[in-house]
Amino acid sequence: MPLDTSTYDLALLRVDGRRWNELRRLHAQIRTQAAADGSSYLEMGNTKVMCVITGPSEDAGKRRGLAASAATAPGGSSAADVAVSIVVGGVQFCGSEEEGQGRQLQPPSVGARSSFRLFKVERIQELQATIAKALAANLHVHLYPRSTIGISLHVLSQDGSLLAALINAATLALVDAGVPMTDYLVACTAGSTSTHSAGDEGADPLVDLNTQEEQELPFLTLGTLGATDKVAVLVCETRVQVSRLEGMMASAADACKGVRNFLDQVVREKGHKMVTEGAVEKGASMAMDIDI
Amino acid sequence: MTSLKRSVDTDPFASNLSSKVYVRSTKNGKVQKIVREVYLRQDIPCSSRLCSKCIATAPRSAAGNVSPFVLSDKPAGTKAFPQGHYLVPDTNALLNAMDLFEQGSAFFDVVILQTVLEELRNRSLPLYNRLIGLTKSQEKRFYVFFNEFRLETYVNREVDESINDRNDRAVRHAVKWYNDHLGQTKSKDVPVTVMLSDDRGNLEKAKQDKVPAIRLRDYVSGLKDAERLLDMIAESQERVASKEKKAEFLYPEYFSLSKMMTGVKSGMLHQGIFNVSPYNYLEGSIKVPAFPKPLLILGRDNINRSVDGDVVVVEVLPQDQWKEPSTKIIEEEAITKNENADNDEDAADVVTEKERRALQEQVKKTQGLTTEGRPQPTAKVVGVIKRNWRQYVGHVDPSTVSQTARQGRKQESVFLIPMDKKIPKIRIRTRQAGELLGKRILVTIDSWDREHRNPVGHFVRSLGELETKAAETEALLLEYDVQYRPFPKTVLDCLPSEGHDWKVPTSTDDPGWKDREDLRGLLICSIDPIGCQDIDDALHARPLPNGNYEVGVHIADVSHFVKPANAMDTEASIRGTTVYLVDKRIDMLPMLLGTDLCSLKPYVERYAFSVLWELSPSADIVDVRFTKSVIKSREAFSYEQAQLRIDDASQQDDLTAGMRTLLMLSKKLKQKRMDAGALSLSSPEVKVQMESETSDPIDVKTKELLDTNSLVEEFMLLANISVARKIYDAFPQTAILRRHGAPPKTNFDELANQLKVKRGLELRFDSSKALADSLDACADTSEPFFNTLVRIMATRCMMSAEYFCAGTQSYPEFRHYGLASEIYTHFTSPIRRYADLVAHRQLAAAIDYEAMHPAVRARGRLEAVCKNINVRHRNAQLAGRASVAYYVGQSLKGRVAEEDAFVMRIFSNGFVVLVPPLRHRGPHPPARPRRPGARERLRRRELHPAPLRRLRRAVELFQKVRVRIRDVKDEATGKRGAKMELVAPAA
Ligand SMILES: [Zn+2]
Repeated sequence: MPLDTSTYDLALLRVDGRRWNELRRLHAQIRTQAAADGSSYLEMGNTKVMCVITGPSEDAGKRRGLAASAATAPGGSSAADVAVSIVVGGVQFCGSEEEGQGRQLQPPSVGARSSFRLFKVERIQELQATIAKALAANLHVHLYPRSTIGISLHVLSQDGSLLAALINAATLALVDAGVPMTDYLVACTAGSTSTHSAGDEGADPLVDLNTQEEQELPFLTLGTLGATDKVAVLVCETRVQVSRLEGMMASAADACKGVRNFLDQVVREKGHKMVTEGAVEKGASMAMDIDI
Repeated sequence: MTSLKRSVDTDPFASNLSSKVYVRSTKNGKVQKIVREVYLRQDIPCSSRLCSKCIATAPRSAAGNVSPFVLSDKPAGTKAFPQGHYLVPDTNALLNAMDLFEQGSAFFDVVILQTVLEELRNRSLPLYNRLIGLTKSQEKRFYVFFNEFRLETYVNREVDESINDRNDRAVRHAVKWYNDHLGQTKSKDVPVTVMLSDDRGNLEKAKQDKVPAIRLRDYVSGLKDAERLLDMIAESQERVASKEKKAEFLYPEYFSLSKMMTGVKSGMLHQGIFNVSPYNYLEGSIKVPAFPKPLLILGRDNINRSVDGDVVVVEVLPQDQWKEPSTKIIEEEAITKNENADNDEDAADVVTEKERRALQEQVKKTQGLTTEGRPQPTAKVVGVIKRNWRQYVGHVDPSTVSQTARQGRKQESVFLIPMDKKIPKIRIRTRQAGELLGKRILVTIDSWDREHRNPVGHFVRSLGELETKAAETEALLLEYDVQYRPFPKTVLDCLPSEGHDWKVPTSTDDPGWKDREDLRGLLICSIDPIGCQDIDDALHARPLPNGNYEVGVHIADVSHFVKPANAMDTEASIRGTTVYLVDKRIDMLPMLLGTDLCSLKPYVERYAFSVLWELSPSADIVDVRFTKSVIKSREAFSYEQAQLRIDDASQQDDLTAGMRTLLMLSKKLKQKRMDAGALSLSSPEVKVQMESETSDPIDVKTKELLDTNSLVEEFMLLANISVARKIYDAFPQTAILRRHGAPPKTNFDELANQLKVKRGLELRFDSSKALADSLDACADTSEPFFNTLVRIMATRCMMSAEYFCAGTQSYPEFRHYGLASEIYTHFTSPIRRYADLVAHRQLAAAIDYEAMHPAVRARGRLEAVCKNINVRHRNAQLAGRASVAYYVGQSLKGRVAEEDAFVMRIFSNGFVVLVPPLRHRGPHPPARPRRPGARERLRRRELHPAPLRRLRRAVELFQKVRVRIRDVKDEATGKRGAKMELVAPAA
């Protein structure tokens, strides 16, 4: 087995050879499934996820079945639902987020036992709710009354920073689906190079953690709107001294800028390619302007 | 449709990205494949002060700091490398000779490769930790070079290449890179980067590739202090050459791990910890879960290279090989070459499965019957799961040192005789045998192969002349693994900055006063042995208007000063307990706390943790509460002073009245405990370990003669029990408690049987009450010591008490057999026992004084703490006893004494006697801060076999005999010991 995170101090190198402020290799593709309304594929290191968007669609039948209680809620019908489901190792978990309301969850479908032991049902449901809430706030859902935007996320392989990867993939796929949004919603994790109990105040922050780092170190997931410092998501489930939090959040925000630039580049390249291949007429209305 | 291509192919950085695949087996035996990314980079510096290239790209921490370069620009050289060198050891070099690398005189400017560090971590965590320690030392200049992350030094594993070969290649490649890289500097005298290895193949390949490399042994030979240093290289590597000679095997081969595991699972083999009999080094036993009694393991072949404490797997031997436990006392150094005659066991494995099953049944059946004269099931070791080897203290057997070696510098093998009789002689190779003679030395065991009769080890360091105080003291501290180094600065930094000037804040608004009760008005006093400095308990009592009494036990508030998980806490948790030697005390906490800030000294205000009861006049608990407090002790009494004051009728002040109340109540409490069946294994003249649950060695001096001793003891017990209940209520899973298991009935079989046969006395042991009563009845009017003897022998049948975490046992198992209490913990001595400190923190949380720190809450961590302090506690006792034994031995030196003694155990060639408290005539041990107990002055010694053969029939168990004790130094082995001769069966 390799060394653990305690060797960082020896040469300021993380367990996989990165420096504290380096992201893992990012790779993304947009419109991976032509038949879907929107789709994407994203890798952050060995964390690999896929996203497929359905809608926005006025699917009355499904809607009634899904959100019977939502109809009575005030303003429930004035905006689109964001329904997020996450598939891990072939088991699907569904949840939806009503604009301005609490979450509603469907029980997970009974299927083969997940081979991803790490994922408890509750854990998945939390992820779904977090993503749905963050996206619902960023998307212009009021443009689609009585509609549902279905976001189906598939975890193909998991090596840390899963929530961040899911959010980034969903953003890409939503761009592909042409759903208007305020800005890219991008996310990244940040941790601290020494454990909580070490009480080392001078510990370096570090970004984009892999599984081993997540298991050994305190960390948080931060989502920002585009390159701004506007925080849209902040999840921290480990113990960490308050004094270290600021450094961690600042480095996560910086990392989010990097992720945002990367996603933007993916979108632009795809757009450029579509134009040059003639898939889209030049000047046709697209939700983005393309620098050629 | 876009295809999801493998993204790496298109990625421009792909060439700098690699992945490593690890295979890990999980707890449930499944195999998991783990793929790790590795980012290769070019900005990992060589860290040589000669290099100007790397400094430009050197990494910065988040705060912008660059780590200074480590390797000297003018490193030391040797004859072979006059221009200076950087050393790059491979993994084996570190495994075999870590002691060398830690030397202060050589081995500077060392590059530790990541490849090597990872391998070392997998092979030996302790060595890895020692190496990490070295990299932090500034003088040694060790630099960890992450070669696996640097693009130029990363090496891909080739098809058909073993991981070891790949790693060796990675090491050579990195050494080559270093030389090329440093060659580019402008400097004239570029040091050579040299690989240190003991692997022949690796060295040869290095030669082919023109990579500078040298054999570790050759390198060391070129150093100044070569002879001394050469001894520190582990013996194991030397074997490579000798193995080719095809030595004959002396021991049976071990089973493969999978064969052992399958066997254990199916119940045909058994796993347990191997223990050596204290009387016979060729007799071992192993307790396994399947059988009620331990299995015997007899003889060298069956013991098959196990060392006391190893976790081994055994196979039960066929019934015709079952034997009675040895009736002989056999000491290793007494046996000469006789055992050379190897009884070749024919390993014909023709026993069928069915027969083996029947055998397991037979074991159970036989063990169910009494042991008297019946062959007991025996077993042989078929493999070792985990070695429990540590460093051993001993001395060189002079008889194994040749005359030439005494003068010359010839390397030769000598035997080391360990201090611990249970450890076999260790063969070490040395060139300095002559100098090591007559010294206490520290060695480690490296290996024990089939072709060696004894384990093979190497010399670590010399502690000094045999029988000198310094050397012997250090020896026993090492032997019992007592952490005796001075507290490091990180620990001392945790102390209050005011030092001895620290005071309880005068303003009650100070945060220190938060939630503290002001008990300064109470008439509190402490009662301790004369000269006690670390006073951790104080008491008070006063009448209440309703006719009841308020009684308070106030304990030093150590947890106020020792915060969880800081350096001081960590150090204390490792030390576990304060260790008392005859002339030395090794503190668990720094002196400032122990003897001043936490000590409940009189006339000054101190923080305390108080237990306050309302007791009825018959000493029943009406109410109990707990609070952090501030107290001011009115007086610190010695036991004698307190007794005088109580007895002095003219003293009519409130403080004395309170003490009389305490005394009155303590007598009632004691009576209640006795009625409940608490064991008193002591007698007026001898204090035995068992009943001194709260006492510290200081108490022993007065030997329970005064009521005031028992006064303190009773209230400490009461406080411990009350606290135990409270923390268990609050934290049923994690409360730290202390239990004392009921002894298995079979433990008493032998003693009860003998008492009946020899004296017609009945020993009942169905409950602690029954045992206590029947022990009282075991008296001989003509011989008052007889009762004590029986108590001491009964004590040997007992289990030892242990700390545990409440969640690990069911409630009935909590019971403290000796104290006849349902539940018990340690709360009253937080200055010198870590368990008490944990209990303090838990109690503070239980009364909502402060939040529970995760370290005190996490069950796994607490279990580890319990395990450690149980071991430390035991070791501290053993070290204390060994220390007394050393002084007694010294005071006996060269003298002959005749004493009365009592027979405790009979062997066919000797017997064991107990010599009641020995009055040393002649020089007393030097002034001691702590007096050892009388019990510790008891001596038991094996009689010399020779004169006994004639007298054997005349001696029987419990008998009083007259023995002559002589101090003898065995000139052959250099070992000193008391030899006894039977003078006459006493009238
Ligand atoms: Zn360099």
